[in-house]
Amino acid sequence: MTEMVTWTCTGCALLCEDIQVRVDNNRIEQVEHACLKGKARIFGCKHVAVPAVNGAGVSIDDAINEAARILKGAKNPLLYGWSNSTSEAQMAGIELARTLGGVLDSTSSFCQGITINEIIKGTIPSCTLEEVREQADVMIFWGANPMSSHPRHLSRYSYFPRGELRQRGYEEDRTAISIDVWQSRTAKICKDKFYRIPPGGDAEFMRGLMDGLSGRVPKLSFDFDVKRILELAAVLKKAEFGVIFAGLGLVYSMKEDFGLLSEFMDTLNRFSNYSLIPMAGHFNMRGFNQNLYDETGYIYRVKFVDGKAASGVEFSVVEQIKHGADAVLVVGSDPLASLPASISRRLKDIPVILIDPCMNLTSQVADVTIPCSTSGIEVGGTAVRMDGKSMEISPLVQGVNMSDEMVIKRIIEEVG
Amino acid sequence: MPVDVGKFIKAPDYDIKVITYRDVFQAVACEEDYTGDECREMSAVIVLDAAEMKRMGFHEGKNVRLTSKWGSVVVMIKKSPREEQKGLGFMVNSPWSNALVSDEMLNGIPEFKDIEVKITGSNDEITSIKELFML
Ligand code: SF4
Repeated sequence: MTEMVTWTCTGCALLCEDIQVRVDNNRIEQVEHACLKGKARIFGCKHVAVPAVNGAGVSIDDAINEAARILKGAKNPLLYGWSNSTSEAQMAGIELARTLGGVLDSTSSFCQGITINEIIKGTIPSCTLEEVREQADVMIFWGANPMSSHPRHLSRYSYFPRGELRQRGYEEDRTAISIDVWQSRTAKICKDKFYRIPPGGDAEFMRGLMDGLSGRVPKLSFDFDVKRILELAAVLKKAEFGVIFAGLGLVYSMKEDFGLLSEFMDTLNRFSNYSLIPMAGHFNMRGFNQNLYDETGYIYRVKFVDGKAASGVEFSVVEQIKHGADAVLVVGSDPLASLPASISRRLKDIPVILIDPCMNLTSQVADVTIPCSTSGIEVGGTAVRMDGKSMEISPLVQGVNMSDEMVIKRIIEEVG
Repeated sequence: MPVDVGKFIKAPDYDIKVITYRDVFQAVACEEDYTGDECREMSAVIVLDAAEMKRMGFHEGKNVRLTSKWGSVVVMIKKSPREEQKGLGFMVNSPWSNALVSDEMLNGIPEFKDIEVKITGSNDEITSIKELFML
C-alpha cells in the first residue's frame, strides 16, 4: 500500500517536522522537503551492522549475553554515545549505568554540553525556534555554520521566513550576523555583517562588543577596525528580539572563559531582549542532557556509586577512555571517527561493545557488535530539539532489528 | 651512478594552525562510508590562502605532510577562493584532522579547532584510514 506521511526528521537537532515521505510496502520511496543530511539519514548507511563477537557472526542473543558478561565483569564500565537515541533509550541507559555502577557520558561532553548546562540551570536565557521565526530581527551566528550543520535552519526559522512580526522577512526585517574565523557558507549570506576574528579571539571580541554596548571604546590586541565593532554594537542595541546561535567555534574558543558568555547576555539584555540557542548537532543530544539532569541533577559526565550520581571532568568520555574505563559500551556513536586519535586509539586495548544500526569506524575495534533499528526511522519515541522543545517521533518503516532501548533493557536483565 | 642530492635535502617546513570546520557534503559521504574513497577525498584536504601557498612554495593538488606532537597525516592542498588569515590552514573535521589533536586538555574538551602543526611538502600518498588507526 502506498501512503504519503508527514514525518519528523532525525538528521539533526532541528527535528524538522514537515518532511513528506512516501512509503510503499514498508519501503521508503520518495522524500520531500528534507535536506541532503536528512535524506542521508532516511535512506540509511551503506554497511548495516550484524551481530558479532570478536569478528565472528553470532546470534543476537549471544551478542547480548557477551555484552552483559563484559559489562558485569568490568570494574569501571563507560556507557557512551546516546545523542542518536530516543529519550526512552537514554532513560534505559541511565538505568543500566546505575545498575552497573558505571560512568555515563554523551557526545555533548565535547560538544554543546557546556552551553546546554547554562541554559538548563537558567544562567543563560533561551527561547524557542518558533519565537525566532515569528519575532527575531537580529541573529548572530557565532562560530556557527548552520548551512552545513543544520541546513534548513535559516530557511525554516532564523532568517528567510516571514514571521508574525517580520512580514518583510530577511530583505528588510531581519539582520543576520556572522562572527567566525573564516567566511563559511552562513557568513556569505550575512554579507557585510561578517566579522572575521582570529582563532581564539572570541572572548576578546566579546569584551570589545561589551565595551561598545556600554559606550566605551573597545581595545583589542589584534588588528580590527574599532569602528566596525561600534557599528555592530549599535545594531545589537536596536534589536527588538535578538538571538545568538552558539556554534562549536564559540564553545571551543570560550571553554575556559565560559562565564563571560552569561555576562555578555546580561549586557545585551540591559538594552533589549536577547536569547541564546545552542547549535546542538545530533538529533537528541539535548534530550540526553535534560533526561540525565531530571534524574540526577547533572547533565553529563556522571558516575554512579551505590545508585547515587557524582559528576566531574574525570568522568568525561575523553578522560575515561584515556585512563579510566576498563570496558566501553558505545550506543549510536563513532568515537574512533570523532575523538582525537591520540585518545581513541586506546579503544583497541579495552573491550568495546557497539550498539548501532550501521557499521562505522568503531566497528573495526569492537569486540561485540549488536545491531539495532535506526531511531526515528524504524523506531519512534521522544526527542528534544536544540531549543529544548520535546517532540514525538513516529517510525516510518518496520525494521528487522530490535530498538537500542530494547537491547539495553535486555542487557539490564542479564546483568541485574 | 649519479647521487640524487635532493634526497638528502630536507623539505622546508612551516608552522601553521589548523582550524577545523564542518561541511555537509563531506559529512554525508563519511557517514555513509568512512572507509570509502569519497570520504577520504573530501576529508584529507587542507585549504590554504593563495599567498600563503606561494610563500611556502606549494601548488594546488600537491600533497603535504601535517605533523603535530600527536600524529602525522598526508593530505592534499586546495586553494581557498578567498583571502584567508595568514598562518592558518582549514580542514574539515574528520579522522584526518583528529589524528593531529592533542590528548591533553583541562576540561574534557579537546582542542579540535585550533591545532598547531608543521606543514611540509611530501611525495607520500594520502594517508589511508587504515594507516590512521593502524587497523
Ligand atoms: S535540517 Fe536537520 S532535521 Fe531538517 S531536514 Fe535537514 S537534517 Fe533533517
